Amino acid sequence: MFAVVRELEGSAQLLVHAIRRIGVLLLPPVAEELVRQVYFTGASATGGIMLRGAFIGTLIIAYVIEVLNADASLAVRLLLLVVLREVGPLIAAVLVIQRSGTAVATELALREISGEIANLRRMRIDPRDYLVVPRVVGMAVSNAALTLHVQLIAVGGGMVLASLIINVPFEALLTHFFLLASPLDLVYSLIKSLLFGAAIAVVACYHGLNPRGRSINAVPQAAIRAVTEALLLVMLLNVVFAYLVYGVAFLGLVTAEQ
Amino acid sequence: MSAVLGYEPVRDGEAPGRIWIDEPGAHRLSPACKDELLATLHDLRPPKGARLVLFGADVATLGEAERAALRRRVGFVPANGGLMSNLNAWENISLPLAYHAPRRLPEALREVRALLDEVGGVGEELLAKLPEHMALYERRLAGYVRALLEAPELLVLECVGAGLGPTKRRRAARFAEVYQARRPGGTFVQLDA
Repeated sequence: MFAVVRELEGSAQLLVHAIRRIGVLLLPPVAEELVRQVYFTGASATGGIMLRGAFIGTLIIAYVIEVLNADASLAVRLLLLVVLREVGPLIAAVLVIQRSGTAVATELALREISGEIANLRRMRIDPRDYLVVPRVVGMAVSNAALTLHVQLIAVGGGMVLASLIINVPFEALLTHFFLLASPLDLVYSLIKSLLFGAAIAVVACYHGLNPRGRSINAVPQAAIRAVTEALLLVMLLNVVFAYLVYGVAFLGLVTAEQ
Repeated sequence: MSAVLGYEPVRDGEAPGRIWIDEPGAHRLSPACKDELLATLHDLRPPKGARLVLFGADVATLGEAERAALRRRVGFVPANGGLMSNLNAWENISLPLAYHAPRRLPEALREVRALLDEVGGVGEELLAKLPEHMALYERRLAGYVRALLEAPELLVLECVGAGLGPTKRRRAARFAEVYQARRPGGTFVQLDA
């Protein structure tokens, strides 16, 4: 338990460092690392979530209309509430943990064990500047973009598929969507997904840069710990976020009663 | 205490191996404490059970800022070249410059091409290779050229010729000469097993 707290504290210190040193992204080698990270975390992950997103949207609409016997308005309302605010950011975060969290932790642990991190120090390059800052920014931005992608696919694809599968006109769903959708939902999920992405990145970087031992066995261990803690942290942040937003923040603008 | 490079391991009050270089120039050593010295030189942290002296200063007595200043004066090329595995040779060679002095990059490219031709006997195609596709000599050459671009006052190379064939070994033997031509008054140290 204390180890987890210490590791989360180390991750928080990396986040503070990344925020303080964000200016290093202007240096060409660091900017290249950022581009690579955005490509691997964001661009190359989009294909895998298209079907999943569309199926989730369809499932929500079909469940509400067919099983709960409710109307299209409630189905779209639930779709927006669940997908835009909660499931969208969570699906993207889980995907980023599964793909990039493991990759970053493994890569950095290998670099540490093989002496590449020490080589960076010898070149007077702070490994946190060169490796952590672009990964934190890249994963935060990519996670936000992936979240938007999931939301578009889940809501749009869900409405299209639902209109084909069950007896509900697409026009009705679309009309309710434009009536009920609020830009605030997107702002809420954008902030949340940026935070999720940054949290996943710092946890993965922390475990990658601090493998337990110098043997090759330390590499998968770093990846496992990174995935476990990143999942824990994302769930924790989600709970805190939900409490703050539905409870006390945003002056009551975003509530479940909307 | 005026050594350019001094390393004294101390175990139970004895000094089983000692390196002490007072004068600049080219030096070739095979000390018993090579691995310990290399580990210490790798990050310039004060060694345990030993004393490291650089340019007359005992590293243990220096603060982090002073050690950082020392790092600028010391170049180090490990036996495997010390390259980043995901960067090609040019990206590896230019990494410190791109980070610390990006304006020097265009002139550095010309310099690197000339060096590869003069010292390495390899063509420009090396620049596009990833470390996994390079021969041992090419990795060492890339690490050496990277260090040379910064013209350090002290350049330490680990096992320059080890594991190379006769032709490449002869080429690697010229590393000291080329360094001294570019950095008169500098100290070149070759550590062998």
